[in-house]
Amino acid sequence: MPQVKIPPPYQGPTEGRAAVEVRGDRVGGCLEDLCRQFPDFRPQLFDAAGGVHRFVTLFVNGEEIARDALDTPVGSDDQVEILAAIAGG
Amino acid sequence: MSGPTGDTIIRVDMTNQSVSIDPIPDEWKLLGGRGLSAKILLAECDPACDPLGPDNVLVMAPGVLSGTAAPTSGRISIGGKSPLTGGIKEANAGGNPSQDLMKLGHRAVVVKGQPADPEKRYALDVNADGVTVKEVPDCKGKWNYALIEHLAQSYSDTASFISIGPAGELKLKGASVACTDQEQERHPARHAARGGLGAVMGAKGLKYVAVDPGKTGVRQPADKKAFTGLCKQYTKDYLAGPQMFKTGTSTVVPVANMLNTFPYKNRTEGQSPDAETLDGHRIVESFETRGGGMHNCMTGCIVKCSNVVHDAEGNYKTSALEFETLTLLGANCAIQSWEDVADLDRLCDEVGLDTIETGAAIAVLMDAGEMDWGDAEGAKRLLHEIADGTELGKAIGNGAAAVGKRTKHHRVPTVRGQSVPAWDPRPLKATGVTYCTSPMGADHTAGLIVNPGLPEEEWVRASQEAQMVNALCDSSGFCQFLQPTLDDIRKFYGALYGEEISREQASDMAWQVLQDEWEFNRRAGWSEDGDQMPDCLKQDPIGPAKMVWDVSADLVVKAYERQGDREELFAMKASG
Repeated sequence: MPQVKIPPPYQGPTEGRAAVEVRGDRVGGCLEDLCRQFPDFRPQLFDAAGGVHRFVTLFVNGEEIARDALDTPVGSDDQVEILAAIAGG
Repeated sequence: MSGPTGDTIIRVDMTNQSVSIDPIPDEWKLLGGRGLSAKILLAECDPACDPLGPDNVLVMAPGVLSGTAAPTSGRISIGGKSPLTGGIKEANAGGNPSQDLMKLGHRAVVVKGQPADPEKRYALDVNADGVTVKEVPDCKGKWNYALIEHLAQSYSDTASFISIGPAGELKLKGASVACTDQEQERHPARHAARGGLGAVMGAKGLKYVAVDPGKTGVRQPADKKAFTGLCKQYTKDYLAGPQMFKTGTSTVVPVANMLNTFPYKNRTEGQSPDAETLDGHRIVESFETRGGGMHNCMTGCIVKCSNVVHDAEGNYKTSALEFETLTLLGANCAIQSWEDVADLDRLCDEVGLDTIETGAAIAVLMDAGEMDWGDAEGAKRLLHEIADGTELGKAIGNGAAAVGKRTKHHRVPTVRGQSVPAWDPRPLKATGVTYCTSPMGADHTAGLIVNPGLPEEEWVRASQEAQMVNALCDSSGFCQFLQPTLDDIRKFYGALYGEEISREQASDMAWQVLQDEWEFNRRAGWSEDGDQMPDCLKQDPIGPAKMVWDVSADLVVKAYERQGDREELFAMKASG
């Protein structure tokens, strides 16, 4: 099963889990399944219009993809990674 | 392969304006920045002294790698006994003075004593010809930007400056120390802000330090091939990565708001209804019509997280407008517009103030009913009052605890007298452990862990590891936003001095910084009784989950016991 890697700032809804196995053959399907497993994750990932928040960056196997490229294919051994800029200052 | 040799420590006695230049002890060669400052303070400063008296010691210590070709390595540590916390303090800044001091081989400037006449102002000139103290009556009372414009007329273009504004001269506990950035105009926009060290500099009558390396080149490492290889590889890897800070810390606002760590109205809420208008993305959008943009605050920086903010007419207003400033001077005061916060940020830089402490102080005043929420113009007037030295201005300039005392208001979010930064300990428990146990008091740069899902059994270890990594990062000269690991730092140190630095040595060095600082604080009279969050954070819930600070004191104090090194410690990135 594909895996979604969760950054530390987003691990509240996953109760500290850094990686979650999901069902799906597209990035969008994987993220939907993540939100199905952890409903509180949805507002962290998607805006009110259903798009991925602009402050979220998505990667598939280490390669950045566009936020709206949710139809990017994902294989069973692939890893989708969510990154969110977070720093002090 | 010995690496840089002949390094020195400058010692200045402001009582008689004398200077001595001493060789740095060989056993201190791997100490710099925060670690060196702590070592000097423990050896040469009475921890029980009056922070604003002659016995306090002000240290300006560049990081170990400053002045070399290592990327983003020009951070300087300003150290001393804090008038705000009563403990040791290290406040860290970018800009160019760190690299310029190190090019001249000066590992620290140590300022002691106090002039007999508190009305006199002095400057320290550091250049290739030597080090001298001179009286500068014409600089008295000058705001930071006007001071630098004035100095630019008489100093070489290669000089950089460390200065204080009126708040430091008035010895206010929220006063910062400014460093000039690498821009041609040398904006005094990079501040060692926390803990009131500007007041310590002011108490010594020292208005500015000018550092002019002239044409002196970068420091040469012992193993040039290895060092150059590290620099190239590190830079390549960083630029190939996601560069999470390429739009600056201000664009963190929406994430922080979502995580309930964008405090509103003196921390009575964790989210602000004004997150959209305070979001740093608005600043980024302004670059297109007004100019400004992202830049590097120091020579050789590859992170470039610093925004340059212009006004509606396209003129420079301030740099950098950071997340912490947008939070404490914006959301926490219910001020809605980033442009108003930009004005306040410029005023803080001008007067020489910590934006976190000042924002927290104004929010307490508003919460006490002595000023309307969201009154941006009133806040700007207050900052002028600070410079003018009115009674209310002095209270604000002395920080949130002083305003709480003046207004007898109950909600004062401070630890050890220092205001809690934006990152809120109620959703971020491990960060709260840092606020309670760090030698720095409530300071996110001492060890920030943004992970609201971290299990309870991990809080202490996460805090301690973050405190260790940040302690060594702040000793190295690397910026926390470069996110170096202990492994990265020890490899650079090894190539600089041509000797292997083991993991054990690196973690021991990091731990020793904390040990020295905790020991200073113990001698200053700190006890574990003070490791407490204020009542308001224990009682005022935020977010849908009604989060409060409910971590037991027994658990918090475990952060003083070394948890033991594990593999993850060496891969953990500095965080600030």
